[in-house]
Amino acid sequence: MKLNIIKQRTLWWAISVAAIAIGFIATLISWQQFGAPLRPSLDFVGGTRLQLELVCTRTESCDGPIDASEVREILAAEGLAGSSIQVVGDQQNALSIRTTTLNVDQRESLLETLEAELGEIDPTLIQIDTVGPTLGRQIFVSGLTALGASFLGIMIYLSLRFQTDYAAFALLAVLHDVLITLGFFAIMGLLFGVEADSLFIVALLTIVGFSVNDTVVIYDRVRETIRNNPGDHIDDIVDAAVNQTLTRSINTTFTTLLSLVAIFLFGGETLKYFALALIVGFIAGSYSSIFIASTLLALWRERTGRAYAEVTPADAEPADSTP
Amino acid sequence: MARQRSLLLLVLILAIAAIITLVNLPIRLGLDLQGGSQLTLQAQPTEAVPEITPDKLEAVRNVVERRINALGVAESVVQTVGSDQLLVQLPGVSDPAQAERVLGGTAQLDFREQKSGTEEQLAIEFQVQQELLIQQAQLEAAGEDADAAAIAANQDALDRSQAAISDLFIKTDLTGEKLSNAFAAPGATGSAWEVGLEFNNQGAEEFADLTRNVAGTGRRLGIFLDNELLSGPVVDVRYAETGITGGRASISGNFTAETANDLALQLRSGALPVPVEILENRTVGATLGRDSIQRSIIAGLAGLVLVLVFMVLYYRLPGAVADVALVVYALLTMALFALLEVTLTLPGIAGFILSIGMAVDANVLIFERTREELRTGKTLYRSVESGFYRAFSSILDSNVTTLIACGALFWLGTGLVKGFALTLAIGVAVSMFTALTCSRTLLLTVLSFSQLRKPEYFCPNLPSSNPQAKATS
Repeated sequence: MKLNIIKQRTLWWAISVAAIAIGFIATLISWQQFGAPLRPSLDFVGGTRLQLELVCTRTESCDGPIDASEVREILAAEGLAGSSIQVVGDQQNALSIRTTTLNVDQRESLLETLEAELGEIDPTLIQIDTVGPTLGRQIFVSGLTALGASFLGIMIYLSLRFQTDYAAFALLAVLHDVLITLGFFAIMGLLFGVEADSLFIVALLTIVGFSVNDTVVIYDRVRETIRNNPGDHIDDIVDAAVNQTLTRSINTTFTTLLSLVAIFLFGGETLKYFALALIVGFIAGSYSSIFIASTLLALWRERTGRAYAEVTPADAEPADSTP
Repeated sequence: MARQRSLLLLVLILAIAAIITLVNLPIRLGLDLQGGSQLTLQAQPTEAVPEITPDKLEAVRNVVERRINALGVAESVVQTVGSDQLLVQLPGVSDPAQAERVLGGTAQLDFREQKSGTEEQLAIEFQVQQELLIQQAQLEAAGEDADAAAIAANQDALDRSQAAISDLFIKTDLTGEKLSNAFAAPGATGSAWEVGLEFNNQGAEEFADLTRNVAGTGRRLGIFLDNELLSGPVVDVRYAETGITGGRASISGNFTAETANDLALQLRSGALPVPVEILENRTVGATLGRDSIQRSIIAGLAGLVLVLVFMVLYYRLPGAVADVALVVYALLTMALFALLEVTLTLPGIAGFILSIGMAVDANVLIFERTREELRTGKTLYRSVESGFYRAFSSILDSNVTTLIACGALFWLGTGLVKGFALTLAIGVAVSMFTALTCSRTLLLTVLSFSQLRKPEYFCPNLPSSNPQAKATS
């Protein structure tokens, strides 16, 4: 298999631009609905989430599934109308309730009422998450700072190891992956109610690290090919470098996807969407390394008049040796 | 060859040491896996303490620790985080309500004396407060139709009334610090509970003075908790001579057995120098945690097996070598978790499983390079050598960039995020070691067996018109 990376670059770019544009529209719609680019979890906006399961589920002695409208009435009576309620579990005997931030007395009173109306709640299967609104902002800001810091750190490292233009395009490719993942989750949030929590920011940072990693391997090969064939046009060099590293790019992404799919399928609720974000980001990262970072570098070198490596005139080959 | 043999021995010893470590030293599990409650508290500056200094935070930590210990939670941990936060970990606690209630109050208890000439005013303020309380109860009882704005307005009025009442009292030196004991006791009348107090010597004297001052004057003794009047008893005229001696008192108020116990506990453990607010509460039931561990083990094994199978199918003999290296990698990484006392959380496990997929990256780079070299007609041994040599710079660069992202996560992230960053970083570091030493040594050892020295074991469909490839050094 040999890919014509440079020749079809408008196609590669069009695919990326379209994907990012669709995601961007989704974030705009989210902004209108939730006041944030993604459907935010309580990690960022504060609130209380209670996940409970009735005792009767383990003994399979429940009278029947929990009635969501009954729970809604209980919540309304506690002054918590407008909370989101989900009946979950195989036997529909578990609940996930998300409300505004409850203090301990409000929460206890709610749990007592629920227990009185629905049946005994298993204390060993409960999950309580309460985040104050100020802490949510703190998590969000520290997440964004970490994202910025990692961009900066990688930019500096790549500038030292390669050249500034390599570093800039590697970062552009990473930005591409982050935008695609954001867009994908904006759509998931709108269609399926998937929320972005603090693990989502972790996923974005991991995507940054992994995707740069992919790009670096290709750039490493570009650099090596330039050194070995100083007379070749940058387009040919990039084409060759990408094709030589193609199997590697695909295989490493593939092995990583194998373990991610395992987490997605068997890892449970908490890790499911974390794994999904990584799957989307890593695929985008692989794509951007192969098709975007490489072609942009070639275009840039050509436009800035550096299509041929800067070699001493003595060993420079005539320019017409390239197609 | 000698160098390879000793390296091989080293890897073997490390692997055995890792197994021994794992058997004897269990990996510490986070509260999301073993079940328990994690609370984040924030110290709130007040007018008296406008800034939370490290000393103040330490003082808060001490009080919080005493209160937690009084609850009797085994292996609880209280740590300071940043400049004004505390992290409280309560393993095995699935109902943190009592802890939250006990930690929430500052418990600044003090005894005050009513200003003279304010008797009528106090009576009026009491009445105002009673009416407001009744109104509040009615508003809250409305349930579904509760008018939030009206409740808030009424609460403001209550706060104002509270402040007006405390204006009518003068502070004395007698505070909760002069208590030697506090306990809950059933009250004399019916179901109400009381909190019994015992003062130390100085406290007992001051209490006698205070009660002597107000006895028989019609003025009240004010018992304030966190600047709110808990009870305002009148002292009988018969104590006008001596005051109440013996250093004992009790507070009655609207206590149940539970609230009386909580207050007694707070008083015993001392007052918090500043109020704290519970910012975050993450509680996971024990069974839920166990379920998560089980799921993670399945996910981890599934990921590992998928990667192992893929490597052998695609890369053949070197793939099998990479698989051995990968198993060694998994053992070493887990042993390091145990040795470095990394607390494994659910995201941490995800980081580890992810690193299994990433760990073969270096091997993939090397084997691809080896295949290329083989195709250019180099000998098997030379191909393997230069595969390692020429892939090194890619491996280094790609791992360093991942480590930079991990570093950013670790320094700036919160608890949950840190676990992930740490496990991923350890994974990346160990994977570089296993790829560069373990795979390499194993592969070169394999090459020393002539029956395994077949290029087609390394690269399928190699053009057979390449006689050089069969020769080995």
